[in-house]
Amino acid sequence: MEFIIFLVIIAALGFWAVSIYNKLVTLKNRYENGFAQIEVQLKRRYDLIPNLVETAKGYLSHERETLEAVIAARNQAMAGLQAAAADPGNASAIKDLASAEGLLGNAMGRLNVVMEAYPDLKANQNMMQLTEELTTTENKVSFARQGYNDQVTDYNTYKQTFPPVLFAGMFGHATDAELLEFEDSEQIQQAPQVSFN
Amino acid sequence: MNFYQAQDNARRKTGQLVLLFFAAVVTLVILTNILVVFIYMFTAQGSVGMTRGFSETLATLPAENWILISTGVIGIIALASGFKFLSLRGGGRTIAEALGGQLLNPQTATGSQQRLLNVVEEMAIASGISVPPVYLIPEPSINAFAAGFSPDDAVIGINQGTLDLLNREELQGVVAHEFSHILNGDTRINLRLIAILHGILFIGMIGYGIMRTGGFSRRNGLPVAAMGLGLLVVGYGGTFFGNLIKAAVSRQREFLADASAVQFTRNPDGIANALKKIGGATYGSFIENSEAEQASHMFFGAAAKKFAGSMFATHPPLDARISAINPNWDGQYEIPDMPVNSTSRQTATSSVGIAGFAQMTPDSIAESVGRPDTDSLEEARQVIASTPDMLLDAAHDSFDARALIYAMLISTERDIAAAQIQHLAQHADAGVAKQTGSLLEAVANLSAERKLMLLEISIPALKALSKPQYKRFMNNTASLITADKQVDVLEWVLHRVLIKDLYGHFEGPQQYHGRVKNLRKYTADVVTVLSIIASHGHTEVADQIASFESACATLNIDGVFEKQAHFNFERLNESLGRLRKLTPLAKPELIKACAISAEFDGEISDTEYALLQGISVTLDCPLPARLDPQTR
Repeated sequence: MEFIIFLVIIAALGFWAVSIYNKLVTLKNRYENGFAQIEVQLKRRYDLIPNLVETAKGYLSHERETLEAVIAARNQAMAGLQAAAADPGNASAIKDLASAEGLLGNAMGRLNVVMEAYPDLKANQNMMQLTEELTTTENKVSFARQGYNDQVTDYNTYKQTFPPVLFAGMFGHATDAELLEFEDSEQIQQAPQVSFN
Repeated sequence: MNFYQAQDNARRKTGQLVLLFFAAVVTLVILTNILVVFIYMFTAQGSVGMTRGFSETLATLPAENWILISTGVIGIIALASGFKFLSLRGGGRTIAEALGGQLLNPQTATGSQQRLLNVVEEMAIASGISVPPVYLIPEPSINAFAAGFSPDDAVIGINQGTLDLLNREELQGVVAHEFSHILNGDTRINLRLIAILHGILFIGMIGYGIMRTGGFSRRNGLPVAAMGLGLLVVGYGGTFFGNLIKAAVSRQREFLADASAVQFTRNPDGIANALKKIGGATYGSFIENSEAEQASHMFFGAAAKKFAGSMFATHPPLDARISAINPNWDGQYEIPDMPVNSTSRQTATSSVGIAGFAQMTPDSIAESVGRPDTDSLEEARQVIASTPDMLLDAAHDSFDARALIYAMLISTERDIAAAQIQHLAQHADAGVAKQTGSLLEAVANLSAERKLMLLEISIPALKALSKPQYKRFMNNTASLITADKQVDVLEWVLHRVLIKDLYGHFEGPQQYHGRVKNLRKYTADVVTVLSIIASHGHTEVADQIASFESACATLNIDGVFEKQAHFNFERLNESLGRLRKLTPLAKPELIKACAISAEFDGEISDTEYALLQGISVTLDCPLPARLDPQTR
């Protein structure tokens, strides 16, 4: 009755494979839920930026290019977010979002440098409030991103460990999920240093 | 039925379930063996051309065959159940995720979603458990479920149809029904049931597999296919028994949960109308997701169409359920249309006279465990509504919720507070220290009860942290608590509630209720707990001793009062750790004794009540917050 033993071994292998499959699905679900958190905060950030630009416009009439660059970058990042939110498992969508965010970060950095030259604007009540809110939102974005990246790392690590690595491709988990890294997230958080001497 | 009785029943039910399961396994083993005999009989016939009767074949088969077949069948069932059980170890959220549930985020929730979150929040606060995460299931039918091993890891899942078609009152009835499943311990049985049935069903699945593949192999093709067919039959026979067990366990509990829902909301119309709408709705309560079959007994209404009304139905017929709630029902279902949704908290009912907590007695405290009622629901609604929006918003956001908890732990002494904020600036994420500082003022004015309530509201947001973030959060809370080199009562309670709720989510559910019936086995621990309550509840030594003795007297134990110079949380934790091994039926006595000691001077102070809550939470008996909308 080796047959029965054979049967039990086959069954055990079957369960093992099923449990790997389920774990992959769960981990994928988790990081996708994690992306929803980033989405909330990024959307908020994208909503704040036009207000900021609107307020700055009155003071920065000679800096139209800078302002337009910010808005363009913001719109591009917004499109990137929509594409990524539709499928957080799509590595290229995440990369696009990251690079669009990088551009937006640069544009915002330039705007900050320009604003340094306009003390009136910096003292504007509305502006101060918006900047404050923007900083808080940046912090939340980076926190949500950290959570998302933790979950993506969990998923990728699990998928690359020995037994699951054999099955991951077969179960439709061939590609690693992409970490969301913003190149200049450090810069965004620090006010640019400008010296006047 | 009170909380303790329901919990005890649930535990006993699990025992019965295991017995039935063993009966089913034994039947399956016998069936498989008989089947093998038949296969031998017919194959022998085919090859040799000799006719042999059943008993003759039986006699010729060696005894090892029996052992092999039996261990094989038992092994496969054990393996299948074991694996399923392991996969469910993640708790309630694994079920919600398998059903395609989407975690509702209070920040983005609008309209009916927000209303649902409000209803769940109020119910949780009124029953003293932390707010469970809510998942939205993308199905157009009216249904809902609760899943989890304990209130710590419980989640609630609601179909989109439920949100679209029910009004607030009906939604409240459905949510109350699901809460009673959580509080009665049904969800724990349900998860075990899934694992157990999976094992039995799996035999049939193997049979199917063998039949398909075996039939094509050249040698032994026929016997293998026959074996497969047999196993298929046996497996489905097993499923038959399994479903019978499932249905029997489930149907009874549905009636109980309906009754509890009426008890919680004191409003038979809410749940009765929800059921009537299921009867009248196009999609009824049926779920299309194929994963729903195995979880069918967890839902509010019948999830599968095929067995409706028969002895395999996991839910009693709608008519019977409605009539049980409302004996005068005219038999008419309601065809639901989209109701006009109002999302604000205040609109639903006018403010009823709130039973003040002046009349709170030790008996009523022990009885209020896990049993919300209309008054407490109304109180919860008003207390939440009277909480500053800034704090509620913070509690609903993962980033700010941590700052909120940190703010509760910041000392009133300036030097210590500065050191604590400094610690956060170094060890918490960017911006958290500042956020903590900005919440500080609002939090400082809160009563202990309000703090605990906000803590319970922030639990879903904290459960959305990643594991490294959770670890850092717990390390930081521990550092803040010990910053002043001592732990006070409120800090201990906050930490207990936090640990209890988050541990079940991040590390896996803990053991829940024990089996020890006799409280006197732990006399030393009871004395420790009562001494701590007496020492921290009363200032005069004479009062402390007298309150301690009156508590001991109700329990009939002899103990010597041990005066506590400072709050010794380590001893308290150790003693409570042992007392957790008590059965649910032994716990009300203990909680009552604690309340007697606290109430000795005629009133229960904030600290005393917080201590009672911390103790009962640790004993897995959710004691609802004592809320008064008038105080902050």
